[in-house]
Amino acid sequence: MKFELDCRGLNCPAPVLKVRDAIEQEQPTSISVIVDNDAARQNVSRFLEHRHYQVSFYHQGADFIVSASNSCAVPEVEVDAVGVSPNAALPGTKKIMVLVTSSNMGHGDDGLGDMLMFNFIKTLKEMGPELWRVVFVNSGVSFVSEGSEAVSVLQVLVSLGVEVTACGACLAYFHLLDKLQVGEVTNMLEIVTAMKQADSVVTI
Amino acid sequence: MNDAIIRLTQTVKGSGCAAKLAPGDLDRALCGLDLPVDPNLLVGLERADDAGVYKISDELALVQTVDFFPPMVDEPFSFGQIAAANALSDVYAMGGTPRTAMNIVAFPGRTLDISILRDIIEGGLSKMREAGVVLVGGHTIDDPELKYGLSVTGFIHPARILTKKNLQFGDLLLLTKPLGTGIVTTAIKAGFADKELTDRVTLAMATLNMAAAEAMAGFAVHACTDITGFGFLGHLAEMVVDSGCGVLVKSREIPHYSEALQWADMGLIPAGTYNNRNFRGAFVDFADSVSMAIQDLLFDPQTSGGLLIAVAAADAEPLVAALKARGVGCAAIVGEVVAKPFGRIVVE
Repeated sequence: MKFELDCRGLNCPAPVLKVRDAIEQEQPTSISVIVDNDAARQNVSRFLEHRHYQVSFYHQGADFIVSASNSCAVPEVEVDAVGVSPNAALPGTKKIMVLVTSSNMGHGDDGLGDMLMFNFIKTLKEMGPELWRVVFVNSGVSFVSEGSEAVSVLQVLVSLGVEVTACGACLAYFHLLDKLQVGEVTNMLEIVTAMKQADSVVTI
Repeated sequence: MNDAIIRLTQTVKGSGCAAKLAPGDLDRALCGLDLPVDPNLLVGLERADDAGVYKISDELALVQTVDFFPPMVDEPFSFGQIAAANALSDVYAMGGTPRTAMNIVAFPGRTLDISILRDIIEGGLSKMREAGVVLVGGHTIDDPELKYGLSVTGFIHPARILTKKNLQFGDLLLLTKPLGTGIVTTAIKAGFADKELTDRVTLAMATLNMAAAEAMAGFAVHACTDITGFGFLGHLAEMVVDSGCGVLVKSREIPHYSEALQWADMGLIPAGTYNNRNFRGAFVDFADSVSMAIQDLLFDPQTSGGLLIAVAAADAEPLVAALKARGVGCAAIVGEVVAKPFGRIVVE
């Protein structure tokens, strides 16, 4: 179950207390917290790490989004499946998950492949409300990182309710963990669980 | 007004010295100002010391300082005591003797009962009496956020001024109060701290640095400051800058509240800690063995913290003994002044 908290306008220690109350009451497997100052960003991150969450953050305008997931906890598949999560597709809508495994589309010329993949991501929104989740793995994580033209495109998808996630191990491998600009960090358990939940999985 | 217990810390945004403006911001505001010049001004703004010193004669100089802040404890009398002890401390850190004080008050007259203000001022007065200081006046404004403090004037011999700027190779550094009041008061605000610890930290913050200052007399003390809003490393950095020396800090020897380390790991850290680290972090090299929580402790903004004393090595142990004999029980040697690395603080 995914959980979102708005801690903007709060001073230390209030954001930490709000997060503590939320995770103790709801026990979410993933949580994202929006804060408006760096001290709160660091304090909330440390609190979540202390509670064994994997934590990452990115900037959203002047604010910070701290997102955390707890791979040890059992994902509450049934809750998500009936669409309780605020970002989940409407009940009854087909769920399409897109798994982007590379920064290139197809084989042949890398420059062409780059351009094609960017174009693919730009066009994804044409899937409409059935587009449920876009997951980036391996060199695909470059699209959610600082410097990619795809960041703004993906931010639009997020604002439309699409879940954008990137493999944490892959971000770490490419030294991009602190350069994540859009979406949340995910892990293999979450990816596999999502594949089970999705009505169809498109791997590209 | 009503019978409900008012928690003073819940009425304000920042608390204690953690409410200080970020040090970098203050530097930007003051940088390049055209200050009046006077040969009798022995220590002024450009030195950024604990208090200003103005020479009246060859035998006498005035020490002047001002300090005020929002409450970091809930109990009005204790808040008054802590604010007064904190304001008086700057005079002690210069080696002076405080003589007169004026109250500075911002009080939310529409939301808090006036009896609370009376209790705060009573608390302040109790510390002034203990210090042998007379209250000569004050100024009170109506303000949405409660703040209290003192403007203090003291005396000092012009030849016996202790500043931050006289570190000498081989000096040992002594600290006279435990670190961690910023984190602990944040935990108090969050409802994490029990009464025993709340009482212990309140008592420490309300303790005057008078006994510690008196103990220094007769020893080869070269430099001194008090630890407040910029944290241990922030104030130590002020001593190191332009001193021609470096400092080695032994983090294992630092007196502190052990609970503060746990709470630091949980993120109960005042924003001032991060400001201090951002401002002075570049001066400091931490050994790999120094945990993040210890680093936070060393940057933690202190309210009414202890004195940080640089003393000739041969006098260090006798000074620790003299401090303990005067009731400064946690006094400890926490570091030494070294030639290399020059201009830096190494924490191990």
